[in-house]
This record gives sequence, structure tokens and C-alpha cells, in this order.
Amino acid sequence: MAGIYVHIPFCKSKCRYCDFASFPDKLCYAESYMACVYREMSKRRGELKSYKFNTLYIGGGTPSVIDGRYIAMLVAAARKNFDLTADAEITIEMNPGTVSAGKISTYKKCGINRFSVGLQTAVDSQLLELGRIHSLNDFLDCAKLLKGENFSVDVMIGLKNQTVYDIENTIDVAARSGASHISMYALSPEDGTPVYTDYLNGELPDGDEVAEQYGAGVKKLESLGFERYEVSNFCKKGKHSRHNLNYWERGEYIGFGVSASSHINNVRYTNTFDLDEYFKCILTDKFAVINSEAIDNEGQEEEFIMLALRCAAGLDLNKYFECFGEDFLKKYSAPLKKVREYVEVSEYCVKIKPEYLFVQNSIITEFLK
Amino acid sequence: MGKKSNIRNFCIIAHIDHGKSTLADRLMERTGQVSERDMEEQLLDSMDIERERGITIKLTPVRMYYKASDGAEYTFNLIDTPGHVDFTYEVSRSLAACEGAILIVDASQGVEAQTLANVYLALENNLEILPVINKIDLPSARPDEAKKEIEEVIGLDASQAPLVSAKEGIGIDDVLESIVKCFPAPDGNENAPLKALIFDSYYDNYKGVILFVRVKDGAIKAGDRIKTFRSDKIYDVVETGVFSPGLTPRTSLVAGEVGYIAASIKSIQDVAVGDTVTGAENAAAEPLPGYKKVQSVVFCGIYPLDGSKFGDLKEAILKLQLNDASLIFEPDSSVALGFGFRCGFLGLLHMEIIQERIEREFGLEIITTAPSVSYKVVKTDGEEIYVDNPSHLPPVSEIEHMEEPIVKADIYSPPDYLGQIMDLCREKRGTFLQMTYLDKSRVQLEYNLPLNEIIFDFFDSIKSRTRGYASFDYELIGYERSKLVKLDILLNGEVCDALSMIVHEDSAYTRGRILCENLKEAIPRQLFEVPVQAAIGGKIIARETVKAVRKDVLAKCYGGDITRKKKLLEKQKEGKKRMRSIGSVEVPSEVFMQILKTNKD
Repeated sequence: MAGIYVHIPFCKSKCRYCDFASFPDKLCYAESYMACVYREMSKRRGELKSYKFNTLYIGGGTPSVIDGRYIAMLVAAARKNFDLTADAEITIEMNPGTVSAGKISTYKKCGINRFSVGLQTAVDSQLLELGRIHSLNDFLDCAKLLKGENFSVDVMIGLKNQTVYDIENTIDVAARSGASHISMYALSPEDGTPVYTDYLNGELPDGDEVAEQYGAGVKKLESLGFERYEVSNFCKKGKHSRHNLNYWERGEYIGFGVSASSHINNVRYTNTFDLDEYFKCILTDKFAVINSEAIDNEGQEEEFIMLALRCAAGLDLNKYFECFGEDFLKKYSAPLKKVREYVEVSEYCVKIKPEYLFVQNSIITEFLK
Repeated sequence: MGKKSNIRNFCIIAHIDHGKSTLADRLMERTGQVSERDMEEQLLDSMDIERERGITIKLTPVRMYYKASDGAEYTFNLIDTPGHVDFTYEVSRSLAACEGAILIVDASQGVEAQTLANVYLALENNLEILPVINKIDLPSARPDEAKKEIEEVIGLDASQAPLVSAKEGIGIDDVLESIVKCFPAPDGNENAPLKALIFDSYYDNYKGVILFVRVKDGAIKAGDRIKTFRSDKIYDVVETGVFSPGLTPRTSLVAGEVGYIAASIKSIQDVAVGDTVTGAENAAAEPLPGYKKVQSVVFCGIYPLDGSKFGDLKEAILKLQLNDASLIFEPDSSVALGFGFRCGFLGLLHMEIIQERIEREFGLEIITTAPSVSYKVVKTDGEEIYVDNPSHLPPVSEIEHMEEPIVKADIYSPPDYLGQIMDLCREKRGTFLQMTYLDKSRVQLEYNLPLNEIIFDFFDSIKSRTRGYASFDYELIGYERSKLVKLDILLNGEVCDALSMIVHEDSAYTRGRILCENLKEAIPRQLFEVPVQAAIGGKIIARETVKAVRKDVLAKCYGGDITRKKKLLEKQKEGKKRMRSIGSVEVPSEVFMQILKTNKD
């Protein structure tokens, strides 16, 4: 089973931490852009004939900023060009400041069955500071419209002036709104974004404080019945993001649109980040891929390990054997010995102990060449 | 080939920065040795390090031809000399190959301490000295005072000293003429059995060991069979030649000449600088007097960063030693760092240069331990041993007492800075001997100082406290009993032998505390808390803690950025590879240099 990702590179206004391909001033090109995405899909149709897809993820940018009809057409185009299973998980990302009852009804009608809502924080002053276009109330309204639906809420930690109480409260708000899934990410100040200057000026909490917040957040989430299945992802029983799990299991996926990435047949490739370039390529009947890398055996193994160890379930020893034909415990006995205090080893799996998930890099790197 | 009476062999003595290399360049240029077009600035300083630091470390001989005003053509052999106090040994080697020395004195700064030391060395070797006043183009030039100083301080007649500006090319002809008139032609008998002094050597990958020689008696040409006095191995000479300035083959070398010999010598150990080359059949009876052997004063451990590169490190050190006979070494091993070498150097600069050359010329990454001096340990059973490696110190119960090397330091400075210098010497446990006013602008201070106090940053401190005006020279005068202790550093409860050092009891607490503080900053946070402790004989005297890392995770690992995230992890892995495991603690190689810092920064 494989996944489909579609990138919608538009938004109302750029958040201060955002370093994704998203163009607040290019919304007028939405129609042409979607036309190109449909065209890109049909160009991939032939090569992906034998693939079965069980997830479709519409991400951005802010997919909910464009006209609902384009989204409906997008889902239709995906169905028309690819073998999308009847029970496929179809997710759309939404900004609470851009939704309406009409849009949500259109989404539901076209088959979208999972929603991912960016709340980030329940403190209005922090939302303003982040450059978000919505308030806590907008989120609550949005949640009302999603009542009974399967939806996820994004929560951020490591924000300027954020307290542990703010985080617990945000999680409370998200849980009470009916979310079945919560993603809790630490703000990462990327070079070139406005929050990076906050970081340079020492205005953001340091690693120790963020770790503190993370620990409190995990505790809160667990107390509310959310189970951690990946370092940043928590859900009610059975409500995992199937699409994201596929990434962490080194599954195959095809990406459409600006900056979208794909992983097909052990080749990873990425589309251009430049909107004009994307138009030019698609309209002249070319793909918009800017880099492509065939992953060799060693690389596949490294990816497998680094992705599997992010997940609470850890690395499945049988699956490793199936993929690489070797006994993981034997091959990695030296690094395993080195990190023995930080991992749990059973006959089925190797996993990082829960208390060390947030310092996993130094454990994972032990397994890299 | 000029007759012997038309040869002049000389070197140049100058204080750092007084323009030695520039003058040498001008001489070569004026004699047409190098065209201006090919002139790379400061030709003789051929090593990158030399050019970057503006100092001369290695001897680089060069041959020039000069048509003098008397109508005859002369052959000049210039043997360059290093100017730094660490390299007295190198200087003594080049002096032994010459009959004369040009003494460059800066017209604005006058005679400097280090210059003096080398002048006396030259006089001891019976060299004729030609004073030259340089930098006369500077507004601050005081050539007459400089001349007076030469006469007063050194006792040389400077009335005829050429006034030059090497930079501007002024007075160069005067220098060339004076070389002909002032320096004697070499003596020596061309028909006597061969005697050639090896004053330097290096390893060429194609030709084997290249010997730099001064032929004192006899002659040598390709096809001759030669040997040295030190070993009985016989070699066939493949090539002889001169330096102009690269290796230029000549059919033979005769008494009085300076040149090189290639004889397919493969083994680095078989030829030593200072040894004498002679004929295998018609051997000379006596070797030439060797050089004054200089003792190593600073020692440190050198280890490969990557433990498997020990063989490469050994090869590198062997090749450097061929080029630099003053470098001594022996295999050593450390619990923390594995296999490596304990090396002895002439001084701190010499140590730094060797470290840099290993890294640059051989592309090896190395870890060096803190420099140490050689201590005398008198054991309770009466035995006396010398220890330069703190981890080789016998147990305290077996030590009756310890002695440390003491130097007599001569510091020359304008009187304005006396206070600062005396403060520094007091901080460094110095004993004041006497003070002499050389003239109204220069004072000579004499101190006895423990060597281990000056090997760290004394030279830099004195320069910075006197705005560069003071200069300093020292000689070892012996050992003195002292209250010394071994300071150990424990990481996570385990002694790290590579960080141990021997310090004076009075400064042990301060050093231990500062070291712990610096190490705390330098050691990255690990998955567990790491105590960093300083201890003397099992008693903890300072402690810092490297807190456990709490956040080390890649954000948002989904979508297409898997490739990018993997690269981030790989980068982190690369950083890890540059670390050494001390017990369970991973330590970056720079940590071992923290010990050098005597201040918290």
C-alpha cells in the first residue's frame, strides 16, 4: 500500500516560523495551480498503474484557503488516475481562520474523512506572536463544525513566553474539542524565518525548558487517553495517522505539487520549490523534479532504523529481517551494547525507552555508519 | 665552477621581523637568481606555515653568482636560519656550514635579545660578522643609534655597516660587495679524503633521503661510494648538485662548496644531521666536530584522532624527524587515547609547528596532550629518574622529593614596562637576580624561572604586557627542589590519564578549578550526567557537572524531508566520529588542549 501527498502552496499570511513552500500573495494562481496538479497526476498515472493507495494527504500551506471545489476536484482526480482504495484515509490540513460550514460540507461530500487542524496554542497573544491568522475562538468554532469527525489538532511547544500551564491548557482545549489525534511539535527556528531572530536573541526557551514542556505535555496527553505512537504524535486508540505511519515505515508515496516529495521503488525525489518553475515544467509537459536520489542498500537500512526508532513501537525485528535478510540483534550487537541502558530489546523488537524518546538522535546515530 | 677563493658561504642572523627573508629575496633577485616575475614573496620560507606566520623554521640553502667590482665572479651560498629562540639548534647547524654571518639590525628597534644569542653562537663558531642596518626607509629609523648599539652591546665595529632597505631595494649592492670583502673564502683541501658535514636532510619520495652538505675537504661526484661515520652502510652517490634555489644537479661538489647529495638512502635512521660523510674506500680518519646537541625542553603526547591511523602517524613523525633532527620521540600509550608517541621539542613554538606540519603535510588528524617539562624525581630508595609524562610518575609513597628545571631568563625591555614584567615574573614563581641599564632606553632583567611556568603562555604574556617591546631569551641552568603534585582529572569517576599534569602545589587548586570549569564547557552533554573532578592523590579538590542532555530530536520528521533529516543525523554522526570515548564519556579532541588554558575564558 502506498500514499499520495498533494501540496497546496497558498496561505492567507505567512506564519513567523514557517519555512515551507507557501505563498500568501499568490492565491490568484490557485486555479491554474490546481489545473497543473491534476495534469501532473495524469502524467504519473501510467507508471503507478500497479500501485494501490490507501491514503491521500492534502497538506500545505493552507489547503483550506482555496475554494472547496478545487479540493473536491483534486480528490476526484486522484481517484480517476490512481487505484485509491474504498477505505482510504483522506486527510486535509486546515487553518481555523479559513474554514466555513460550506467548505467542510464540500470536503465531507467528496470523501475527505480526516481533518488536521492547526491550533498551535490556546493563548491568543501567542497566536498573534506566531503570526497565526486565527484566535482560540476561531478554533472552537471550527471544532464545532467538525463535531463527530475524525480530526487531529497540532500543538506547538517551545514558544516565546510559553509556560507549562499554557501547554497543558492547550492540550485540554484540543482534547475537549473532540480531537482523536494530537501532534505536539517543538518549534524549530529555521534560518531565514522571523522566529530565527527571536532564537538568536535568546527569546525562545532553551532545550532544557522545551524538554520540561515536552515531558509535561506527554503526561497531560496520556492522562487524557492519548497514546504516544511517535515522538510527536499521540492518538486515541486506533486513530493513528495512517499516512504518516507509512512515512515512518519507509513505505512508498507519490507527491504532487510544489516542493512535494516522493518515495517510489527506493528512489526519493523532490519537486521544485519555485512556483513559476513548477508551472513552466508542467505546462511544457515535463516533471518538476529537482533532485532525485536512488537509495542504496545501506541507505535503506539507515532510513529504516532512523524512522522505526522514532516510533514508540520501535523497530520490528521480523520486518527488518524480511527487508534486509539479516539478524538485526547480531549485526548491531556493538551499538546495541553501547546504548543498552536506553533501549528495550525483546525477541520482536528494539525500542527506545519512553523517557529517552526526546533525546533519540544520539541513540539513533550509534546505528549509522 | 668558481675557484675556492671565489666562494663565500654565509648565513643571516636577525630577530623575527627584522627583514631577513626580505633581504635574502633581494640578494637573490639582484644576482639574477630569480627573475622578478617568478618571485614569490619570501622565497626561502617555502613551508606554508613559515609564510603564514612570517617566520623561518627550516634551513633553506641557496646558491647565487655575483660579479664583483673587482671583475671576478663569486659564488655565494646562503644558508637561511630561523630566528626564534626555540630554534637555536637549527641555527647552530647552519653556522657550522658557514664562514660568515650577516647580522641584520632593525634601524628603529636596535639589537634584540634573541639576535644576541645567535651572534654569540656565531662568534663561538669563529664566523666573521657583517652588520647590516635594515629598514632605513622607516620614519622611525635611527641608523646611527643602531650602529652605536651594535658597538656597545656586541662590541663589533659597525662603522662600515651597509644601510639598506630590503623592502625598497636600497643598499643591496653595498651588501653584496661587503660579502666579498668581509667574509673569508672557505679553506679545505680538495685532494684530501672526503669530509662533508650533513647540516640538513629531507625525504624525497623518488630520490630517497636528500642530504644537505657542506664539503670541508675532498670532492664528491655521482658514482662515488660513500658512508657516514655513524653507520657502516655504504651508498652509491646518484646525484650531486646545488641549490638555486631548487635542487640543481652539478657533476661534482668540491671542498668549500655547499650542495646536496642523493644516494638512494632509504632508511631515515641511517643518516643523522651533524654526521660526516666520507668516502667508502678512501675514508677520512676523523669526523668533523658534530653540532652542539640541544636538549628537548617541552614534551607532549601525540595520538591519532582515529586510533587505526597509528601507522600513518609513525611514518609522518619519522619523516619529520629526518627533516628536523631536534624532534625526538618514543612510542607511548595512554588508557584514554590508545597508542601514540611521546615527543620532545625545543620549545612551545617548535611543538606547535610540528603538530601543524603533521596535520598539513600528512593530512593526519591528531590529538595532543598538554605540554610538560622533564622533572627529576628522587625516589625513597635513592634512585633518580626523569619524568616528563605525568602518568609515569611513581606512586607518592615512593617519591622522596621532586625537582623541576629552572631557566635563567634575560628579558630586555624599555624601562616603562619594568613593573608589568616584574609582576608577571612574580606570578610565574620567578626569582629576581639583577637589573642592568644597557642604555637609557633599554633595561636587562635577569630572573630565574621554573621552566614549566614559561612553556605555556609566558612569551605571549610578556609581549602583550609590553606592547611587543620586550624580548626574552632563556637558558636551562639546572634543577631545583620544588613542591610539585600530580593533578588528575576524573571524568564520570574515572581518571583520564591524558589530562593529568604536574603542577606546583600552590597553584594546584586554582588550576584544578579552572580546568574543571573549562572542561565543563568543552565536553558536550551526554545522555547521563558527567561529573568532572580534579583530584590530587585521590583527594577531590574541584568538581563541575556536565548536565545530561534533555532534548536531541529531529522535529517534524515526515513528508519529503526524510532525506534532509537523514543528512542532519549523518552530520551528527560525523561529529561523533571526531570524539574519543573516555570510559563511557565521549570527548571531542579539542578538550585535550583545554588543559593549556590557565585562565577561564
